[in-house]
Amino acid sequence: MNTDTQLTDWREQALQFERQINQTVIGLQPAVRHIILAVFARGHVLLEGNVGVGKTTLLRAVAQGLGGDYQRIEGTIDLMPADLIYYTYLNSEGRPCVDPGPLLKHGDTLATFFFNEINRARPQVHALLLRAMAERSINAFNRDYHFPHIQVFADRNRIEKEETFELPAAAKDRFMMEINIDMPRGDTELDELMFNPRFHDTDRLVAGVANTGIYYRLNELAQTVQQRIQTSPKLHTYALSLWKATHQPQQYGVQLTDVEMPQLLMAGASPRGMSYLIRAAKTRAWLEHRDHVLPEDLQAVFPVCMTHRLFLNPMYGYRKEQLLPELIKGILNQVAAP
Amino acid sequence: MRILLIMVLSLLGCSGSIDEPVSYFNVETPRPFGYVNGDEIPQRIVIETRSDISLQPGSLPAKGRINRWLNLNQVTVKQTGQRYQIDLLYQVFYAPLEVKSLTLPGFTVQLSQGEKNINQSVPAWTFTLSPLRELVARQSEQGEYMRPDVPPPLLANTQALYGLSASLTVAALIATYLGYLYGCFPNRLRRTLFKRALRKLAGLSKADMEQALTVVHHALNSLNGQPLFLNRLGEFYRRNPEYLQINAQLGWFFTYSNRYFFSDGMIAIAQDFQQLKDLCEQCRKIERGSR
Repeated sequence: MNTDTQLTDWREQALQFERQINQTVIGLQPAVRHIILAVFARGHVLLEGNVGVGKTTLLRAVAQGLGGDYQRIEGTIDLMPADLIYYTYLNSEGRPCVDPGPLLKHGDTLATFFFNEINRARPQVHALLLRAMAERSINAFNRDYHFPHIQVFADRNRIEKEETFELPAAAKDRFMMEINIDMPRGDTELDELMFNPRFHDTDRLVAGVANTGIYYRLNELAQTVQQRIQTSPKLHTYALSLWKATHQPQQYGVQLTDVEMPQLLMAGASPRGMSYLIRAAKTRAWLEHRDHVLPEDLQAVFPVCMTHRLFLNPMYGYRKEQLLPELIKGILNQVAAP
Repeated sequence: MRILLIMVLSLLGCSGSIDEPVSYFNVETPRPFGYVNGDEIPQRIVIETRSDISLQPGSLPAKGRINRWLNLNQVTVKQTGQRYQIDLLYQVFYAPLEVKSLTLPGFTVQLSQGEKNINQSVPAWTFTLSPLRELVARQSEQGEYMRPDVPPPLLANTQALYGLSASLTVAALIATYLGYLYGCFPNRLRRTLFKRALRKLAGLSKADMEQALTVVHHALNSLNGQPLFLNRLGEFYRRNPEYLQINAQLGWFFTYSNRYFFSDGMIAIAQDFQQLKDLCEQCRKIERGSR
């Protein structure tokens, strides 16, 4: 089977997987599309949203559908890095035992690592996670453990701020995407969510997602997609302009209300952030049956890949929720291609 | 003995002026003739008093009508130390048939020293008033012989007018340029977007396809106010519904441009270039409102 046929087959599987998730978690099509892109581009995902809008259900459904070994941990204020690596207990004979923790339990077959309420965990835990996410390995018991297939899904709610620890910039940068989950808008979806008993039992709902078993082939697939999907010199120029605009938006004519634009940003997108952006854009082009990336691919993934990488000057920090989406929109509306 | 006598006589000479409550009093009036109906006549009264004496302003004549033909228009009192300067401005409304002697009435100025009042009378003042014209008015062929004064000649202001015109012209040019910078004339520019694009396309051939596509992209971006992409056409049509009629051509343009710029192996042919020119001409027609 040649590579093109293989890519076509995989695409059909990916789209089938997307349809299945959309049937399980309704009304969240844009978020589902972004998660699919992150999964097939091998990037970690951070979900943010209000309480009870389906963040956890969505991630569980994706993990179930992908297959592979799955681990989940709840972020709490007293969680320490060691709790992820091992746990100690007395066995039935009264002897102390040390067993591998959630990260090490599945060894190198660990696939989906789901960190619920990540902002409730301490910075020490975030630090451990940094290495696991960036290098796909950790050091424990005097040796390195590698997780070639690890995919981190994390979520946090944006309502509560008490007893939470804001994720450091370095930790945020390691997530390919930060996806906002909003409540479904349509009346039909809301009616379904209220009255259809299928959505009342989330365990059964998630268990209904068929395991595609594609997980351990994702690395190979992602590599093939990244190699096969082409980018033209004009697209490089466009991406470069977008990148520069995240550092000096005023030079591209972006103007926000009541903002001194030269003072707005402390840091723009990082090189890692831009490489994630291109990876996600290539994956989108593949899902859209193309062998080349278009500006619209970059535009589609730009908000989710960039919003959490732009750091505002503290004097504009209190308007972050308003200014960041406006800035992203302004950049996309001002940078032309070709 | 002689010296003593001189001293006594000197003291006696001074004693009278020390007791006088008003050390100086004068009524200053202008010429007592040559007035006509409507003239204003100023009168200034200057009084200097001893230090413990003050003027009673209530004793001065009140502003307003004095009698049938005389008005008091203004009363001003200016005090400098113990010197009072009272300025009265009368106006005469009397039309005499011949030169007539009239009198500004006198009055009494009251000064107070503690509870004691001191009167200082201002004498009446007589002047003559002339008629404006003869008793029997002559008529000329042109009508009434009395005519208004010749208006004063105007000052030469040609230089100032030139300066003003030049300044206004410069100000108008600056305002226009500022308006242009602030985008106050978008419609004017928007109406010639595709005209300029067509002019540029006329100098290009299919070998310059990249440049030609860029020209049309630029025109569409300027019309849209921001970069226009295939996936934003819906929004563009909402703002510019007249372009919906060439939806198919615009769709072709963006698809073609995407393939040309972002995928490999695209070779432009003459037909593509002609199609691009046709699209630009259609846009020009819509821009002119003839379609």
